[in-house]
Amino acid sequence: MKTVPKVVNPVKRAGEQSPGKIYDEKLKVRARREWRGVKDTFYDYTRWLYLIFVLARFIVVPRNIKGFFRYRWMMSYLFVPHGMDKFTIGLRDEALRIAHTSFNFVIADVTQAIANCFRGDRRVGNDKAYSDKCVITDENSMVTFMMGFDTKKVHTILREVPTMFASNIFHQFNVMHYLDIAQQYGIPGDVCPMPEAEAGISIDDDFCVLGSCAVQNNTTCDGSLMGNGIIAKRLEREYGIPTFQLATPLRHKEPDVMEYAAREIKKAIAFVEEHTGEKWDWDVYFAAAKRVNDATRCRIAQMEINSTPYPQFFGAAFSLYNDTNYMGNSGRNADFVKIDHKLLKLAQRGYEAKRMYAKEYRHRCIVWGVQPQYVIDMLYWMVQCWGVMPLTDMLSVINTEMIAEVDTPENREQAYRDMAMLNMEMIMRNHTHGGYKVLVDELWELCEKMNADIVMMWEHMSCKALTGMHGQFEEQARERGIHIMWVSHDLCDPRVFTRQAIRDQVNNYMRTVMREEPLDPSLENIPDNEAY
Amino acid sequence: MKKLLKLPLYLLLAALGFFVVTFTIYFFNLDMKATSLLAPWLEKWYDHLERKQYI
Repeated sequence: MKTVPKVVNPVKRAGEQSPGKIYDEKLKVRARREWRGVKDTFYDYTRWLYLIFVLARFIVVPRNIKGFFRYRWMMSYLFVPHGMDKFTIGLRDEALRIAHTSFNFVIADVTQAIANCFRGDRRVGNDKAYSDKCVITDENSMVTFMMGFDTKKVHTILREVPTMFASNIFHQFNVMHYLDIAQQYGIPGDVCPMPEAEAGISIDDDFCVLGSCAVQNNTTCDGSLMGNGIIAKRLEREYGIPTFQLATPLRHKEPDVMEYAAREIKKAIAFVEEHTGEKWDWDVYFAAAKRVNDATRCRIAQMEINSTPYPQFFGAAFSLYNDTNYMGNSGRNADFVKIDHKLLKLAQRGYEAKRMYAKEYRHRCIVWGVQPQYVIDMLYWMVQCWGVMPLTDMLSVINTEMIAEVDTPENREQAYRDMAMLNMEMIMRNHTHGGYKVLVDELWELCEKMNADIVMMWEHMSCKALTGMHGQFEEQARERGIHIMWVSHDLCDPRVFTRQAIRDQVNNYMRTVMREEPLDPSLENIPDNEAY
Repeated sequence: MKKLLKLPLYLLLAALGFFVVTFTIYFFNLDMKATSLLAPWLEKWYDHLERKQYI
């Protein structure tokens, strides 16, 4: 079997050595926050103050209070600091700053998204003039078709992000109610719980209602298509919000799908123009395209650092920041550029100083498949507890091609193909769909490139896209001498696999197959199954 | 004039008081402990709201 050299941290971690001790099974939150030494504890404290400020600034607006008491998913808003603590387990120095810089920005962005939803919501703010310039977009869709609309004139509303996606990260039980509602109305329980929960939110009438129109995408699976149908029916028939179906080819590596995909993007843009009364602006588009390229360059540089013995930016913060920037932003917000460069600078500084996340790195791991939402801190746990360094996760392995960024007549035609390419290769589609090459072959290429000896394979039990390849992965990993560690979960339903049941699959593999002992035994069993 | 001279001292004491209170809340996770007590009440609140459920 392939092995990699062990990297030992010559520096003892400041402050607490066993962060597992701060969990208490009698509480639904941590007993206290982590002591990280004076400097890093003070830094973490100032970031906590910042988060409290962001949350307080949001809730002092009367319509946001009204929204808070109307929507069940808003309960997760209260647990944002608890959620942020999950992203910083055991972190010090640059790693702590990277986690806060990236995820504090995401939190501020999502908070703004909620404020925008409430402003236009017919039940809460009911600002009709604002709502008429809003376009609801699918949470699992690239918003490339909005890149040429001035963000001051047309507002992109990803209402499923705070309602379901972020909500489940901060509060693990928050979507269970919606799953139960969906199943009460006859939706089968074996589809992906993410679109099922979104369908449940729509059935429960718990989505904000706003916008002049909506754009949905044939995202990735049977669950998603089913959920979109239920949501679109309510949007169109009850609320009179016309909904466009952006039908995106799934075999995105086949060149003959491109012209069709580009035509779909053109149609989506025409639909938005028709319903908002605003026109596509090529100056706005190409400025956004430059920012997309800049973000791509920064991400490639981060991945190169992660290919070295001293990876810096990975795990939940890397994955969710990429999600937000690449898919939800798509170059539209210039503020992401500053954050991208700040993060890269921090990562370069950490790499030069040979900063490490744990006492030692024993294995280099590629994380493949789709991660569970409610144990989002798993990858930090894995490196702290077992010294298994997660170099990257599948959802962060996204586009590395540059798109046309100069306004010429040829590039205006190319732009439709670029938007189509980005849309086809969006986060949940680029590996789970597109055929054998993107799902299986690219994994081994990545193992080679990043010098990995383990693949941790998330087995999302309701995801039909990946389960069919189980045998192929096993067989090929054996041929290549790469360890493959299967970890089952049910994406956002903690009743099926608890957090500890998920961690135990890694614990068992490391003890029985690898014959190793944990680096930090305090983390092997954490009493957080009942915690938010 | 004397009061004006003492102003920096008052500001320093206020800042120190703010730090002591907020750092205690932060370190002992009192914010999240209070929130977790509030959550069951909120769940009951959301349960009692009338909703137009249909598929």
